[in-house]
Amino acid sequence: MELDKVARLASVRFSLLLLVLFPVLWAYAPGIYHVYDFYLVSAYQVPALSLLSSMQFMLPLLVAISAAELLGIEIANGTLQTVLLRPVSRSQWLLSKLLVVSVYPFAILLVFLVVSLLAGAPYGYGSFVGGTGLGQAGLLGQGTMGAGQAIAEVLRAYLVAGLSLVPVALLSLLLTVAFMSAAGGALATLSVLIFMQLLVVFPGLTPYLLTTQLNAYAKPVANMGWVVALIAVYAAAFAAAAVVLFERKDF
Amino acid sequence: MPTPSIQVDRLTKRYGKRPVVQDLSFTVNPGEVYALVGPNGAGKTTVIRLVAGLAFPSEGTVRMLGVNPHSEPAVRRRLGAVVEAPAAFYPYLTGRGNLRLHGRLAGGVDEARIQQVLDMMELGNAAERKVGVYSLGMRQRLGVAAAMLTRPDVLILDEPASGMDPLSLHLVHSVLRDAAGGGSAVLLSTHHLDEVVAYCTRVAILEEGHLIDEVNLLDRRERYRAGVDEPHRARALLETQPWIRHAAVRGQDVVFIPAEAENVGRVAGLLADAGLSLYELTRDIFDLRGYYRERIANERPTHSGVRRPPDAGADHEEEPT
Repeated sequence: MELDKVARLASVRFSLLLLVLFPVLWAYAPGIYHVYDFYLVSAYQVPALSLLSSMQFMLPLLVAISAAELLGIEIANGTLQTVLLRPVSRSQWLLSKLLVVSVYPFAILLVFLVVSLLAGAPYGYGSFVGGTGLGQAGLLGQGTMGAGQAIAEVLRAYLVAGLSLVPVALLSLLLTVAFMSAAGGALATLSVLIFMQLLVVFPGLTPYLLTTQLNAYAKPVANMGWVVALIAVYAAAFAAAAVVLFERKDF
Repeated sequence: MPTPSIQVDRLTKRYGKRPVVQDLSFTVNPGEVYALVGPNGAGKTTVIRLVAGLAFPSEGTVRMLGVNPHSEPAVRRRLGAVVEAPAAFYPYLTGRGNLRLHGRLAGGVDEARIQQVLDMMELGNAAERKVGVYSLGMRQRLGVAAAMLTRPDVLILDEPASGMDPLSLHLVHSVLRDAAGGGSAVLLSTHHLDEVVAYCTRVAILEEGHLIDEVNLLDRRERYRAGVDEPHRARALLETQPWIRHAAVRGQDVVFIPAEAENVGRVAGLLADAGLSLYELTRDIFDLRGYYRERIANERPTHSGVRRPPDAGADHEEEPT
């Protein structure tokens, strides 16, 4: 039921359109060399290019908008009240929304990854000299990289990227509950993320910021336990706050 | 004494410091229809939402079928409610699809019952159309159908007939009357005073969040009106009769409640024996609209800043002392 609602959201359709267009355009953009200082030599480098260009702003924004709309449209249409008049507990209903928005980043990143790999088809799927851009050796690499190793690096990076977007989705849902509007929730989430990015002027805080974790997909595997724990803390805090607020909200 | 289906006790709701509902108490028993009336902004919708469990009281308590609907949402299995006007549905689902969804949320309703409520609200032909193309009146009727889906013990409806044509209006009111006849407690807010007077048990008049009057329409329906030449003498005479429960003067008429309906025929003879001229003797159809207008006008301050005296209304009925 909730998944069906997600598929009908205008923001989800718009996001999918962008996520399909983006890798196709970027894989053949003439200015890539000037911006990133390298030439694409393998299809396995396109997913890295897609993530590098979108994880700081576009993907968090798309996730925040869709998460906000999933709840906001029920508030705007009045169907939220209709559901709450039935013998359904508020927390149970919101938890189903929280679950869906937690899965959503992985779903759109799967689309992003598949389209990125397909867009890179002309560069080939075999072994290549260089790196995927998603491992320790960056895009330049350390000699020849096999297809298996490249796929593993890309999958790991997309998985971590999806994980780091989960708290963004949950924050958006929390702020939509607070403001009782999709636009309010999405814009407030964007404001919080921009504010967090500005907090880099406090170096002691930087490792703990949610926005710092948005770059975790490119971090060494050894640091991953810390990153996952921090993301889990953010996710749990946002989800718990959303449930507590929703339980006492007047409709 | 049976447990009231709805019990509201000293209910107050504030948004910030602004009180929207103040110290409101009432009960609705099984089989009763209780109407909340009042001007826009009087607090009717807030009361409906508080009772249905969508909003939380600042003070006071709400009990539905003896339990707190906020802490025990399971009681809503026995609730049918519409709190939006027009009723809110998923526009991409058909009328039947929306009712199926409601049935699932309510714990399961069979297809036969869904068809039954669709037919009852004359939506059988539109059942397979998406709700997004329904007219306002059709959505309102679907709202009542959804509320009736589980054969609820408690029905709560906010403006259930707003935006409806006269036939649909009549249909909704007859469905609510039948539901009450079947033992459901019905709480509704409405501006359709002329329609509800025919079947409501009690009417609460709200103004600025206060209950300013509760009118028992059951008593009012048993009233008769006698047009006489000397109404005050006639009232005094009727009051002395053991088979008259109540008598009062209203303008040039005497309004009275007989202990039994068959006693009405004795009034003409009684008045004639006392030398009083009787011009007309008829059932007194309570003018709820006029009464409502008078009560609201009395509550509102005049231009000089004081409330009108209680006898300011043209049709004020003198209560016996």
